[in-house]
Amino acid sequence: MSTRPPTRPRRPVPPAIRRLTSGLGMPLGSVLLAFIAGGAIVAATGGNPFAAYSALLCGGFGFICTQGENPALQISNTILFVIPLITTGVAVALPFRAGLFNIGAEGQLLAGSIACTAIGIKFSSLPSPILLPMVLIGGMVAGALWAGVAGVLKATVGAHEVVTTIMMNYVAQWFLRYLIIGGPLQLAAGTSKSQPIGAGARLATVLPNDNALIIFGLPSSVFRVHTGLLIALAAAAGFAFLLWRTSLGYEIRTVGQSQKAARYAGVSVRRTIIVTMLIAGAFSGLAGAVEIAGVDHNLTDKYFSDTTGFDAIAVALLGLGSAVGIVLAAVLFGALHAGGSVMQADANISGNLVYVLQALILFSIAANFVGAIRQQIPGLRKPPSSLPAELPPAAPMMTEAAAPPSEG
Amino acid sequence: MAALGDILHLLLTANLWQATLAAAVLLLLPALGGIISERSGVVNIAMEGMMLTGAFFGVVADLAWHNPWAATGVAMLAGALMATIHAVVSIRFRADQIVSGIAINIFATGITVFLVSRIYGLQDVGHVGQDSLLPYLDVPVLDQIPFFGKVLFQQNVIVYLALIVLVVTQVVLFRTRLGLRVRAVGEHPQAADTAGINVYAIRCGAVITSGLLSGLSGAFLAIGISNTFVPNMTDGRGYIALAAMIFGKWTPLGAFIACIIFGLGQAIYDNNSTIHVSPYLLSMLPYVLTLIVLAGLVGRSTPPAADGLPYTPGGE
Repeated sequence: MSTRPPTRPRRPVPPAIRRLTSGLGMPLGSVLLAFIAGGAIVAATGGNPFAAYSALLCGGFGFICTQGENPALQISNTILFVIPLITTGVAVALPFRAGLFNIGAEGQLLAGSIACTAIGIKFSSLPSPILLPMVLIGGMVAGALWAGVAGVLKATVGAHEVVTTIMMNYVAQWFLRYLIIGGPLQLAAGTSKSQPIGAGARLATVLPNDNALIIFGLPSSVFRVHTGLLIALAAAAGFAFLLWRTSLGYEIRTVGQSQKAARYAGVSVRRTIIVTMLIAGAFSGLAGAVEIAGVDHNLTDKYFSDTTGFDAIAVALLGLGSAVGIVLAAVLFGALHAGGSVMQADANISGNLVYVLQALILFSIAANFVGAIRQQIPGLRKPPSSLPAELPPAAPMMTEAAAPPSEG
Repeated sequence: MAALGDILHLLLTANLWQATLAAAVLLLLPALGGIISERSGVVNIAMEGMMLTGAFFGVVADLAWHNPWAATGVAMLAGALMATIHAVVSIRFRADQIVSGIAINIFATGITVFLVSRIYGLQDVGHVGQDSLLPYLDVPVLDQIPFFGKVLFQQNVIVYLALIVLVVTQVVLFRTRLGLRVRAVGEHPQAADTAGINVYAIRCGAVITSGLLSGLSGAFLAIGISNTFVPNMTDGRGYIALAAMIFGKWTPLGAFIACIIFGLGQAIYDNNSTIHVSPYLLSMLPYVLTLIVLAGLVGRSTPPAADGLPYTPGGE
């Protein structure tokens, strides 16, 4: 007779938690790997990675600030970066589901901010309840048209959307320069900015724009978080609803899984491609309009070097194409960008390290380094899968570009 | 109609065409790299980043050694190093080649400015001395030919080199066994593999070649045309090269014609004192033209069949 007490059966891990941890493993691991590699780069060039990252943490989230930064202000600045990242992240993630790669969020964003500014100047005397919807919808329409070019070319002649959206990005950038340097929107000769939009076209800030009111130890006017945050969150929610609760979302996902199957199911592949790009462009255009209406109030040369639409690709990939994931990834990248300037000031490490980290995260996700490492550790070994299940199937690349999708 | 007359006058000056050829070569080198890479089946949108890295390390090396040839070699190696990352990630790890290309470009933007601040502090990188720049070379006798002498034979050494690379690429790609292998791997890797061709080796070699050529172009930009490094100095030229590649339908000679057209736009931009067209609108031209080509208005532009597909032995 064995005297060993019966071993208590181990409580199985609830499936919800398992799903969560296995879903979070790849993105969190990728971020971790990127930070380790980035730290190595800092150390190799004679910097202190710990000082760099602690300054980044301070600048992004207001934690452990050593140089007297105001934590509330840092968080407010991070949110300003997060707002457009959520909306453009959605604009990249939605086409991913249809097997389309939208690299053009940047151009669509610029188109949206241009339209918003033009309308906001032209009708500056209109009251806010009329003008604000006008500028936001105008931005969405402009972004949709900008992306629609790529959608139509893809659906009709099979031109690859990656190439067309890259071209449209540069057309938008040069058009913007034309408009505000010597063009019709230029404020005055010698400047590179437009007139400000009318007061009715502006989004309200969350805290009153009042220099006398002191909140968190600072005048409340320095906290520039605006109601565009709600618009961005609504965009993320709308994205999830569209994708999972509507027949259009079903069609988008079907086309992304297999164009052949979609055709058998009676889905018009061409129409779905065009509609997907239009909606994606509307999201990007909205992001651009919200930036003008909520933050800048006019077009400036700051938009020449804007990278939000490219950061959005990292947001969509790291967020695994889900609404919650996109919001979380946008918070991470928003914090990185906001923290970059503090890192430069406090730790004397160039804020451009943030781009290095972003690229490393992209490499790590795309190559699934986390999965490769997992294969090396016996306890964690899983059946090989090149892509996480959450990710949409690899976008059909150049091959499918050769032939336009047929309507069999 | 004064504007039209001004344009015609400008088009007849040798100076304009001399500048056009130089601007075209800047685009031609990465475009040739892109063609070689994509002909082997690896999508490459990372020429921009490879050029930028080449430009930066070319300037660093030239400032240190005062030797433009050694600096150009360093620039090419730097471009090749970035290409190697692209090759490893997208061939060995079968990553999405577009994501990898975007990552290369973001990485290049970040790491160059980061290194500027680590090496030179927050101030300027500094300027390369006149005698450390890639030299201009007048070909004796030939440079005396009216008009064409100035356009073709009073150029930077890199221009002559690039024209040689153009011919070599065209010949190797379409007239040699190696070129046939590259194209076979890009069109049908399974068949090529069955025929005993090492798909991975060909693809790695092609991608690294694209890095060498993009790095060379970066050196030409930074220590030939310019004499210093400024952040993001490539300013989208790697993407125009991508456009030229598509415009030229993935052939070296076609890309060269596209580069001449785009280079002409750049040269008019630089000489735009007489024509009253916004230089910014002119800058849109390469992209708009490429969109028109893609729309099929000037004949179809079809990429290699296996472009962008990671190769798995035994895969379908």
